[in-house]
Amino acid sequence: MDSALIPKGVKRCPVPQFGLWLGVWTVILLWGVYALLLIWFKGLNQTNMNDSYGFALWIWADLAVIALGGGAFFTGLCKYIFGKDELKHIINYAVLLGFICYSSAQLILAIDVGQPLRAWFIFWHANVHSMLTEVAFCLSCYFGVLTIEYIPLILENRQLDKIPFVHNLTHNMHEIMAVFAATGAFLSFFHQGSLGGVAGVLFGRPFAFREHIFIWPWTFFLFTWSAAAFGPSFTLLCTKMIEWITGKKLVKQSAIELLAKISGWMMITYAIAKTADTAYWASQVNIADFYTNNPGSNYGYWILFTEIVVCGFVPALMLITPTIRKNPVLLTVAIILACIGVSINRWVMVLQVMAVPIIPFEGFAAYFPSWQEIATTILPVAYGVILVSLSYRYLPVFPDEAELNPIEDEEAAPAVEAAVEDEDSGDDAGVEPLPAEA
Amino acid sequence: MKIDRRSFLSFVVGGAAGTALTPIPWKLTDDSSIWTQMWPWTPVPANGEVAYADSVCDLCPGGCGISVRKVDDRAIKIEGKSGHPVNDGGICALGLSGLQLLYGPTRVKQPLKRVGTRGAGQWEKISWDAALKEVAQKLNEIAAADKTKGVACIADTDRGTVPGLLKRFLQAYGSPNFIKMPASADAYELAIKKMHGVAATAGFDAENADFVISFGSGVIQGWGAPVRMIKANSAWKAAGAKFTQVEARKSITAAKADQWLPIKPGTEATLALGLAHLILKKHPHPALGQGFGPLKKALEGYYPTKVADVTGLDEDLIITLAGAFARADKPLALYGKGRGTTPGSVGEAMAVHTLNILAGNINKKGGVWLMDGSDTVEWPDFTAAAGAGGPRVDGAANGAYQDSPYLPSRMVSALLEDSYPLQALFVSKSNPLYSLPDSENVKAAFSKVPLIVSFSSYMDETAAFADLILPNHHYLERLEDVPSPTGYPEKMVMLAQPVVEPQFNTQHTGDVVISLAGTVGGSVAAAFGWENYEACLQELLGDAWDTLLERGYVVNEGSALATDLTALKFAGLDAGTIALEGDAGAFPLVFMPYDSLRLSSGYIGDTPFMMKTVEETILLGNDSLVEINPATAKKAGLRAGDAAVIETPRGRGRVKVHLYDGIRPGVIAMPRGLGHTAYDKYLANKGINTNALIGPVEDPASGLDAAWGIRAKLSKA
Amino acid sequence: MSQGHSNSNSTEKGQSRAKKYGMVIDLDKCTGCGSCMVACMQENNVPFKEDETDKLLSLTWMRIYKLSNKKSFPDADICYLPRPCMHCEGHGGHSPCVSVCPATATDYSLETGVVSQIYTRCFGCRYCMGACPYHARYFNWWDPVWPKGMEKSLSPNVSVRMRGIVEKCSFCYHRRQLALEKAHLEGRRELAEDEYQTSCTQACPAGAITFGDLFNPEHAVTKIAQPDHHLAGRPQNPDCFRLLEELGTNPKVYYMTTRKWVRKLGDHYFGKKEGKRAAAH
Repeated sequence: MDSALIPKGVKRCPVPQFGLWLGVWTVILLWGVYALLLIWFKGLNQTNMNDSYGFALWIWADLAVIALGGGAFFTGLCKYIFGKDELKHIINYAVLLGFICYSSAQLILAIDVGQPLRAWFIFWHANVHSMLTEVAFCLSCYFGVLTIEYIPLILENRQLDKIPFVHNLTHNMHEIMAVFAATGAFLSFFHQGSLGGVAGVLFGRPFAFREHIFIWPWTFFLFTWSAAAFGPSFTLLCTKMIEWITGKKLVKQSAIELLAKISGWMMITYAIAKTADTAYWASQVNIADFYTNNPGSNYGYWILFTEIVVCGFVPALMLITPTIRKNPVLLTVAIILACIGVSINRWVMVLQVMAVPIIPFEGFAAYFPSWQEIATTILPVAYGVILVSLSYRYLPVFPDEAELNPIEDEEAAPAVEAAVEDEDSGDDAGVEPLPAEA
Repeated sequence: MKIDRRSFLSFVVGGAAGTALTPIPWKLTDDSSIWTQMWPWTPVPANGEVAYADSVCDLCPGGCGISVRKVDDRAIKIEGKSGHPVNDGGICALGLSGLQLLYGPTRVKQPLKRVGTRGAGQWEKISWDAALKEVAQKLNEIAAADKTKGVACIADTDRGTVPGLLKRFLQAYGSPNFIKMPASADAYELAIKKMHGVAATAGFDAENADFVISFGSGVIQGWGAPVRMIKANSAWKAAGAKFTQVEARKSITAAKADQWLPIKPGTEATLALGLAHLILKKHPHPALGQGFGPLKKALEGYYPTKVADVTGLDEDLIITLAGAFARADKPLALYGKGRGTTPGSVGEAMAVHTLNILAGNINKKGGVWLMDGSDTVEWPDFTAAAGAGGPRVDGAANGAYQDSPYLPSRMVSALLEDSYPLQALFVSKSNPLYSLPDSENVKAAFSKVPLIVSFSSYMDETAAFADLILPNHHYLERLEDVPSPTGYPEKMVMLAQPVVEPQFNTQHTGDVVISLAGTVGGSVAAAFGWENYEACLQELLGDAWDTLLERGYVVNEGSALATDLTALKFAGLDAGTIALEGDAGAFPLVFMPYDSLRLSSGYIGDTPFMMKTVEETILLGNDSLVEINPATAKKAGLRAGDAAVIETPRGRGRVKVHLYDGIRPGVIAMPRGLGHTAYDKYLANKGINTNALIGPVEDPASGLDAAWGIRAKLSKA
Repeated sequence: MSQGHSNSNSTEKGQSRAKKYGMVIDLDKCTGCGSCMVACMQENNVPFKEDETDKLLSLTWMRIYKLSNKKSFPDADICYLPRPCMHCEGHGGHSPCVSVCPATATDYSLETGVVSQIYTRCFGCRYCMGACPYHARYFNWWDPVWPKGMEKSLSPNVSVRMRGIVEKCSFCYHRRQLALEKAHLEGRRELAEDEYQTSCTQACPAGAITFGDLFNPEHAVTKIAQPDHHLAGRPQNPDCFRLLEELGTNPKVYYMTTRKWVRKLGDHYFGKKEGKRAAAH
């Protein structure tokens, strides 16, 4: 039915099956939208946040999703700036994931503020000293960059590509993609850092506060670094997931291994830096008051150990060890640990920092998200799945798919023919979704 | 024109780009934010002309001067009146939130007549005329049946002109049954009467004392005039006066005291007598002379080792305290547990008063002043009806209880036993259904009264149970005299003046009584020759009227009563210790209610603002928390936050456990003021009413309710 | 720093010099009666709701904490501690909350030392709440609702806050403006000490709260706290302390008590700088 839209040379599941899949996720999405509307119309009393937990699940989800979405900028940086051309096999997908993560982050922020209709005051009445202002500006700009990076992919849809103007536009956009990749990397560096700075500048919160370099606290750099390190692991994890779901090999093993290796080396340097940071931090404050199992909390040292060792050093060492990263199972274990690790880090920097009492005569604040918070946090996941599904089905996200999964049955033969036809008549950009020459 | 995909796409993209270039999206963005800045459902208080109106707060017997800030005809803030002799600018949480009562949902907005079953909350709105006619008709029927004694009235106080009018009405009608709600001052006044032989109220010159012992008084928790006493406490700190608190629980009063004696509860009288024993023996006051032979004899048994044993206090501590108290320049002993809403035993009051006598502080600066407690006003003569004399429903002022003027708890038992049936009961500025001990019993007793008329301004428990509500003006709408604050060492009259116009169709109880007398007619009407309450008040206040209108208060100098300190009587001094109700085996713990200024426990219920100040260790959700010593809790297998059931011989309730190291092992405590069933959603059905758990324990010497707690058990729910 | 220096030095009747409004709360006098809390609520149109027992959802610009010495009977002791907004100066007006607000909805005034909050500017991101170690900032989780008729007691001097924004103690700043208006009509530019007092100060039955200009040596608040403006306002009165002094928030609310355990509980610091401070004294 929709075969005209499906990229050439690849096979997709039947429409009803795809519809069912989309339907399930749409129901989840609508559940999230219902919660979102409840929150917008009734206010944040729909959440279980309170005056001690002003930042809660959403801010964590925001930080985590942006850290994980860091794969986009860092993969782009490696490909376009550092010339790791092998990554062309995965860059489309990295960009798509980045686009999803960043649009989700903005959506969550729009739910999270008490007065969404005034949220633009952050630009209009900007306080340049605030880390959140920096976050807002860089985040929005980078989202713009990601959109520009994502548009060519959309335009490469078989039908759209037939329009000469679109075809040429796509081609030209590819030509200048390195500029956007560089801009994106620059912006990412700042907003990832600013998000780290959000907690790090709080000098009233001694467990969040870190010493500064120029105007930025340590956490600024640690956040950027960790996003660069762990983001690619999330890209890989999503690749593994889509490969598992479609039952196809979609990205060349060489690209996966290269990205895993880069991620691993970034991770190990990050873990060392984070260890140093923790050691210095521990010399400044009594971290026993932070990692404590006081009544009402389970914030013991186990968190620190899990974050830095189990989900930091361990996956890092796994990924830099060639034999392990070549083993698909162990690779998957490593990237899962890595994603957990960076999520724990964001959790600690936001929620644990909020939970730990600063006034000596106050106790731990308890918090468990309401269903509305959970639903709105799952909403982006559903949105992401749907967008990935649509993109995968109709756009040439994985340039090597056709090559890796040659079609043998007759049903798909016309498509192959068409592809051959196209190759004969047109330029090379048709099959090679992203220009290797850029 | 054929629309192909291409032109459609161009149209959409072009349209979007075009719209973005117009001011529309930007204007909409801006307008929507402006809309959020003035949401129509977020009120914008109107501006207007600002003025201040002075009056007196009558929400408790504290009598603070207030100054109300108004914007046009709206009262927007109550402040303490600076320079006022009682509170000099200070004001308590209840006084501050009086506007929430004025404008709040608890107000009874017009006369109401019950239509459903009692207490079901079904009312019919009726006119004032109809209401008065109905009451008058009923009273005339009762009189025709020669049952005038079956009419009674309960009020918060027996001083002031409105209680005066109510008393006068009953007497003219033919009933002796004017009943005042209980207070610790009842026991102390009785003690003075027994010891000095004079009818006097006690004024405590706390501000000028330099060594104060309080026997469980919540000195800064609402005892006496609350704001005045907090000021006194600050004055003690500034002047270096010493303050000792005797109490089983580290209350905030105990915490602010220089010394806390965590006594075994209920043995306060023994400690007072032990101190008296030591003082008389070692530090006799030179001015007192040698007339204390009988007292010395009576105190023989109260030697330190025994007193230490009974009270659980250190012997040396007792000896040191006695010496320090005796040697102090202006020592003072205070009586009345907590806020002073329960009388206690007259024996204990005598024991404490003995310390004041031995300190030589009677009618002295910094001491206890015996003051003429009667109203300053001269009532015109009238003819009391025949029934106005004779036995009362509460058995007071008769026989063994000759000296006790009011015994409300005995009224409850008389009604339950049907020994003195009532035909009609008027309730003014009091909430006996909530405040009298053993609320269930009180309710059962009140059920036997065919007609209950409430004058309450608010839908309190008693009003909700009444047959007719004739709502009084709120105090900020009312002109009325306010008597001297409880325990104030000078005799004062104050005048509350209307600050705002009456907000609803209410009437001043004084006017209602006068109108009712007119409607009843006959000799009753003859006793009320005034056109209205204001005329009555002006006549009664006489010369003071102008000063009162202008300044709000008049102090009557030299109202202390002379007393002969050589002719004191001490009989009954050692009968102060009253055993608690309940079997120690079945109820191993002792439950003591306490008072907090953040919880209004009297006739007025806690306001929404005050409920915000109630700690989460006292009320969580709708559950009261019970304070228990961690050691006691451990023995009972209870942990912090556990749901538990508190059970006493009189009642039970669900609570949560709050561990508190400051409470004596074996004792549990909860504050008064919660567990309302009436009022509004901000107060109703939250926590436990301690009065529902405690029953009255009669002091054999006076008939007064001497219960200061009850035996209890606490088990895991 | 230089500003504090020049101001604290002059005692003559200066006109329109910068003020530094602050407060001393005598914890030995404080009885925890709740007057300050209610006085604040009535003055500032603070809303209320049916259940106020979850203190993390309860708007109380002034909140009274109950401190315990954690000893067992009969050595247990308690102390109440009223906590308004501390109006932190930080370093040169860089207070913890003001510096983080992305929309400039809160500001530190170097003219008065008051940390203000613009309710119509705030869009409810709650970053400032995370930044404030004193929990002095409150979020309007609900629309404020007054039962019918009760809105009559609302003051026109303080705007009613809408849902979804942050609010906090303003040191009753509107009272200063009203006093200044009055003074202006009388041809004066300066306010006497008693002309500008906060609602809580005025109501406190114990007289435990003293409010005034910390730059003015004649003001009682300065005489009691004896702030050392060379050391970011650190109190020189040995009985005085500030909450979380070592964080460098430079609060303008001082506490006074003779009870050592209370001072220790308020001045506690997380870790190893405690020793440094002890050495400095």
